Amino acid sequence: MVDRDLVERCRRGDRKAQHELYASTSDRMYRILFRITGRQEDALDLSQEAYFRAFTRINQFDGRSSFFTWLCRIAVNEALQFLRREGTARTNHETAAAQARTKGGAAHSDTKLDIDAALAELTPEERALLLLRYQEGLDYKAIGEVTDNPPGTVASRLNRARQRLRDLLKKSYGPTEETPVPVHPILRMTSQSAHPSAPVSSSRAQPGAET
Amino acid sequence: MTCEEIRDVLGHYVDDEASSALRGQIEAHVAVCFPCSQELDEIRQLAASLAEAPSVTVPSTLWTAIEERLDARSVARSFFFSMLRSRVAMAVAASIVIVIGLGLFSLPWGGDRSQARAATVDFTSLLDGLQHDAVAAFDKFMTQYGAVAATPGEAKRHAPGLSFDLPQTLPGGFELQTVYILRFGDAPGVAGRYERGEEFLGVVFHAPVLKEHFGTHKDRACIMGQHRGHSVPVGDWTLVHLTDATTCHCVLSRLNETTELPAVMSAVVPLSGATTGEPNGHHHDEP
Repeated sequence: MVDRDLVERCRRGDRKAQHELYASTSDRMYRILFRITGRQEDALDLSQEAYFRAFTRINQFDGRSSFFTWLCRIAVNEALQFLRREGTARTNHETAAAQARTKGGAAHSDTKLDIDAALAELTPEERALLLLRYQEGLDYKAIGEVTDNPPGTVASRLNRARQRLRDLLKKSYGPTEETPVPVHPILRMTSQSAHPSAPVSSSRAQPGAET
Repeated sequence: MTCEEIRDVLGHYVDDEASSALRGQIEAHVAVCFPCSQELDEIRQLAASLAEAPSVTVPSTLWTAIEERLDARSVARSFFFSMLRSRVAMAVAASIVIVIGLGLFSLPWGGDRSQARAATVDFTSLLDGLQHDAVAAFDKFMTQYGAVAATPGEAKRHAPGLSFDLPQTLPGGFELQTVYILRFGDAPGVAGRYERGEEFLGVVFHAPVLKEHFGTHKDRACIMGQHRGHSVPVGDWTLVHLTDATTCHCVLSRLNETTELPAVMSAVVPLSGATTGEPNGHHHDEP
């Protein structure tokens, strides 16, 4: 949590305080913008715009949310508007390809690449919701502050986004004419023969586990 | 609860957003329902995969770029407020601005009439609407050319051939509200909306080879410092145009052409390329 003194110093235009706020949030901010847009140059441009707006309008920050949530609100809205403006100028496949390129292949598992390719197929709004929740760990209330929605709406939209992502992963691992039915590691559990009395354990379906 | 009802709230459970009563119901259900427990595991795995954030390095240029913009804004604001603080200082500053203006607006007015392309910038709707509602007229003009809001960085990328600046704060205290990218025929254009309290100021940048049309409004040559531009007055509004080798810089405002506009123009016309003045290369239709 950013302390009030730091924000107060930023209000007075203290450059050192601004840099402290930047340093404590820029990794997360850049990462989420990169994952929403799929391009480093866009993430860089949008990050610059978000911080500039935040520092020049910091008087509007009322301290009811965390500084990061407030900054996210500026940045994510800016990113969504940017992607709407881009419209069809960039296809989802280009986004996915860009994300895959940046990840550097071998350092990441196939599962990770698939997740990001599937993420790129979602709408930018769905992508932002999932990343705010699972990458950044924001709760429904904070996501609501970022997206200007009540927590109930956040919950139902997250449900939809999650389901769409699962459907996409299932589809990408669906059967083809030449190959037997491959199963995405995340979804392997559904292809196992179910046993009604099997114990519930989140550790059973580890990515990569053989069936 | 039915399986369908349980599956609707499994996301809440995984996200730790379910009430303790609901958690109890979910846990009791999945303990005896294998399909729902599978669903729960899938959601958990999905959440874990999404949480695995890629390792990205923030470019070192990011803070530098932010700092430069903050510095530029501070300079513009302190310049404005220092001018306000002292009438003497104001007079001196005005002289300095005019001197700077002389350098800045020594721009080549040259342009080959044969370069004119079919695209015409038609300012008629903008000029016609000024007396009623300048902001609405500007919006209409933006719509006419398919303007969409953009960041300054996007604007630069949209029109790399144009030379312009869109500072956050203009001399006189106008704050940048919105940047637009637009198209004049095949040529890209950029615009900006500024406000000082309730007062509006608009800027438009387009390629100088485009033709301009002002409807029934009279276009006249104007001198800013010793440099030639042209302006279209409508009531107390003026649309001033200054052109360099690549760009026509149009500013719509109620500012005084002698005492206020030079500083504003110097802020939106980049310093590079200032040379001795030649005849204005604009091609505009006679009313």
